[in-house]
Amino acid sequence: MTGADRRQLRRVRSAILGNRPDNSLSSTLYPVYVAVIAAGAYGVPTAQQLFRSLDEKWLAEHAWTPTGAMVAVMLAALLLTLVWLTGRVHGPVVPPLPYLELVVASPMPRRVTLARNWRLSLGGTAVGGLLFGAVGGAGLAIANVTAPIVLVPAALGGLLLGVLVAEFWLWGQLRGGLLGELSGGPQTSPPRSQRGLSFLGRRQNALALLDITSLRRQAASNVTMGGAVLAGDLRMVRLDAVRPTTRARRVRLRTGGPRVVIASRDLLGLRRAPGSALFGLAFTAAGSAGLMLSLQSPQTPTVAPLVSLVVCHLGFGAWCEGLRLHADNHGTSRLLGLPYRDTALAHLVVPVSAWSLTAIVVAAGLFLADLATPTALVWALAVGALLAGTHLLAAFRGLPPVGVFGPHAGVPAMIFWYAKPLVATLVVGTGTAAWAVRAATPWTAFSWLVVATAGVVAWGLSLVDKRDRRS
Amino acid sequence: MLGRRGADVPTAHEAARHVLRARGVAKRIDEAVLLLPTDVELGPAQCVVLRGPNGSGKTTLLRILAGTMPPSEGEATLDGVPVDERHDLTRTAIAALIGAPATYRDLTLADHLVLIDSTWGHVVQRADDRADEILELLEIDHLAERFPHELSSGQQQLFHLSMVLVRPSSILILDEPEQRLDTDKRELLIRILLDRRAEGTSLLIACHDPAMTEVLADTVVDIAPA
Repeated sequence: MTGADRRQLRRVRSAILGNRPDNSLSSTLYPVYVAVIAAGAYGVPTAQQLFRSLDEKWLAEHAWTPTGAMVAVMLAALLLTLVWLTGRVHGPVVPPLPYLELVVASPMPRRVTLARNWRLSLGGTAVGGLLFGAVGGAGLAIANVTAPIVLVPAALGGLLLGVLVAEFWLWGQLRGGLLGELSGGPQTSPPRSQRGLSFLGRRQNALALLDITSLRRQAASNVTMGGAVLAGDLRMVRLDAVRPTTRARRVRLRTGGPRVVIASRDLLGLRRAPGSALFGLAFTAAGSAGLMLSLQSPQTPTVAPLVSLVVCHLGFGAWCEGLRLHADNHGTSRLLGLPYRDTALAHLVVPVSAWSLTAIVVAAGLFLADLATPTALVWALAVGALLAGTHLLAAFRGLPPVGVFGPHAGVPAMIFWYAKPLVATLVVGTGTAAWAVRAATPWTAFSWLVVATAGVVAWGLSLVDKRDRRS
Repeated sequence: MLGRRGADVPTAHEAARHVLRARGVAKRIDEAVLLLPTDVELGPAQCVVLRGPNGSGKTTLLRILAGTMPPSEGEATLDGVPVDERHDLTRTAIAALIGAPATYRDLTLADHLVLIDSTWGHVVQRADDRADEILELLEIDHLAERFPHELSSGQQQLFHLSMVLVRPSSILILDEPEQRLDTDKRELLIRILLDRRAEGTSLLIACHDPAMTEVLADTVVDIAPA
């Protein structure tokens, strides 16, 4: 940025601020101050407790092996991939709409007008990465997994990861410019040859390559999503965050009986969203394997089935888009010939079948490797019914009650309201799994799993009926 | 409703001859008056057009008669039975387009019509043909492989009409079906609705188009501003 650029930008900022004082530095540093306090006060104790509950001796033996390094690299690669995908929808450089319209759209160089937004995002992820690394390192040291010196490489590694996150986020945003072209917008994005990895070597030019159409779309989307999150409208968040489908348009929906055609619809939907299908497969396979393995020994820490069930819940949810779309449509003119509740149940056919198939294949593999017993498969199949019930809860929960927005409720009430279906999965699934591995026979716990699952499914169906009531 | 499985023709040819009636129907929510007491009667193969300024309660009356909203006063009946969208009789008889209907963003136009047709229990082998016929009827067959988010607003309206026309019904309830359509498409819509009425379908339409009202209406009901 040249001196002339700086002067021009200063004039613009003073015009925007008017007579108000410039608090930008303090408003930037305050979140950093809060994050540092929170990391020290809550992050470090939580991290060391987590490492202890995961068995610190086992961790100490495996953390510094080639396998441990490979797992760390894979986790980092997964994170960077997710960040890149996020950037395609919501990037790191998204100024407010008025600034976009009045300043970024002006003839001023874009690398100048967008520099501040980029620095904020880069600084945020770098500080976040540094704190994450420091907290993890401190947790490892306090839990006696490794020597205190680990704090230095962990903090530096976290800092590097934070910078990489920002770069991949920006790269994703640059690639996301293509969305404007797909949705019929003017072709203002840079040509393909200018996007991708090549821009990493020309960092200075990256901000200049961001087109006004995609910036405007992302800024408008930020406003929509911010409002939707505050109002607890998860449907709006989902619809705004996900790219519209354009795949496999020549593949026609297969005809069939009323319930069969709805299941076929969901299969076709997954075919047109292969990312969701694969995400669901990977997560349900990993989650069901973790769940079945955690049922094999009373020594297994309770956190193992808990984490497995979180993964299962996310994977199963990736296959439930048809159910969510059905719930989204309540209140509109009804066109399908099936009753509302029957349609909801028909939308569960694909996820429940896919879950059962995945669990059977995973169980067969574990059984052949002598790692699990057939009982674990029965358990996993019952958990499939539990997941069906909790996803009914998730899809048909509607908008949060007014009480959530009350002065005495606050953010925790809103978070609990969001997380209620996941909490139901975890309470029922983890509680019965922990009971089963510690009891002489798992069948008493299993019968309680069945009873609780029936209760959750009935609760979900009552919400479906509630949505079906006339206004 | 699903007892109709096996029937081959989707629409009004085989329709029962229903009578839809509103007697002193009104709607209030707390202090807000959405609709003043109104009487409407729709007999077999008749067309009743509702007119009135914005906010007079036309859409509210259509919702009540479609069975998606209970009245605060009066009674809305289908063949003497309170009309309720959750009952099989109501859903078999009435197809309504009131506001934008439910669409799946991951299905094409043709997929939507196949889905709707199949859930009404028709002969499944003909669902593809029926979908194509409806799209052709509304002159949007070239859009069969598009997704709903790829349509213009006028094309969206034609698509929404196709979703209502493809399902079986003996009563069509349409809220301003002419909106966002150009002159040619309005004339096409009038022809389609006249054909439907000739086949025995009853029409209840809220409409702001004087020409359309003139051609279609057997009875015009003016709704007083609430």
